[in-house]
Amino acid sequence: MLLDAVVLVLREVLEAAVLVSLLIALSLNLSLRLRWLAWALPIALLGTYLFASSLATITDALDGAGQEVVNASLQIGIYLLIVAIVCCVLLLQRSPSLTSLLYVAMTLAVSFAMIREGSEIWIYVTGFAAVTEYRTAIYAGSAIGAGIGLSVGVLLFAGLRAMPASRSYATCLAALGLIGAGMVMQATLLLTQVDWLPAGKPLWNSSALLSEQSIAGELLYAVFGYEATPSAIQVGLYLGCLALVAVLPFVLRGHDRGRDA
Amino acid sequence: MRASAALIFWLLLVPVAQAKTPLFEIEIRDHLFQPSELRIPAGTKVKLIVYNRDPTPEEFESYELNREKVILGGRKANIFIGPLEPGIYPFFGEFNPKTAQGRVIAE
Repeated sequence: MLLDAVVLVLREVLEAAVLVSLLIALSLNLSLRLRWLAWALPIALLGTYLFASSLATITDALDGAGQEVVNASLQIGIYLLIVAIVCCVLLLQRSPSLTSLLYVAMTLAVSFAMIREGSEIWIYVTGFAAVTEYRTAIYAGSAIGAGIGLSVGVLLFAGLRAMPASRSYATCLAALGLIGAGMVMQATLLLTQVDWLPAGKPLWNSSALLSEQSIAGELLYAVFGYEATPSAIQVGLYLGCLALVAVLPFVLRGHDRGRDA
Repeated sequence: MRASAALIFWLLLVPVAQAKTPLFEIEIRDHLFQPSELRIPAGTKVKLIVYNRDPTPEEFESYELNREKVILGGRKANIFIGPLEPGIYPFFGEFNPKTAQGRVIAE
């Protein structure tokens, strides 16, 4: 039970920790304050509580598709917020007034990620800690799992801060694009699960090469949304969402240049 | 006229199409899936209803099927699976991965 709790909580914390680390590093690169983080924590806690405590109602809503639709909405929301963050960051020098919009987008993106991962931890911990014989193992395991997950986030942050500023900035933006595209891909899986999207045949199967259950697989899942058996819809959406973020620097810079002329 | 005929056609077709999705049910009891082996037709989309008879929550999870869903204690969850190529697709309960193990066999 102890080990199960470690693994479960680690998996959930990892995904949110990577996003938070990237956004903190990005903020420091841009010499922004971290007050968005202070807003994100209470919003995430409240959202986690509301989501977890009404999960039974949510699950039965929309003819049994409620849980997937809410989770997919959060994931697609994170992608859209990441697009907004990247736009704001690229235009920030020219329009410093975008700073407040950037703070709001960062706050919401981190809150959404924490609500998604936090509610599952909440349900798990409250569900099993209610059983006396499991209680100690659940609390200890969850604390260890959360500790490892946060440590990975801190290591990533330290790595990003150790880089030269311009490379760190570019790495943050690229990683945000990858995370966002991965979120959209995971959202399509959830919508397929409730038959809102058609299921496609897997384009390939790389599970023998890199299992999703391995540590590397889990890490790649957290950063790139790694999927061993993706369908054509998923691969298409992933590449499309990634391409949209990738062209933003060129489009927005071109826009700026147009204004200079 | 043609439009209304098309409408009637669709109204008739849609429920038929839904009714054709085969239904399978499994239970979670004492952190075990019952039955733990589910045989489904290959190449067909099926609807799986998982009943959690335990008081504790469980998460139905499968890397091979790309499925994950939290099922609270005493509740049920719908999960659509497939169409699948013939083969064996393991699934497990993420909250009790040592005991809650099962597999879907598409044939």
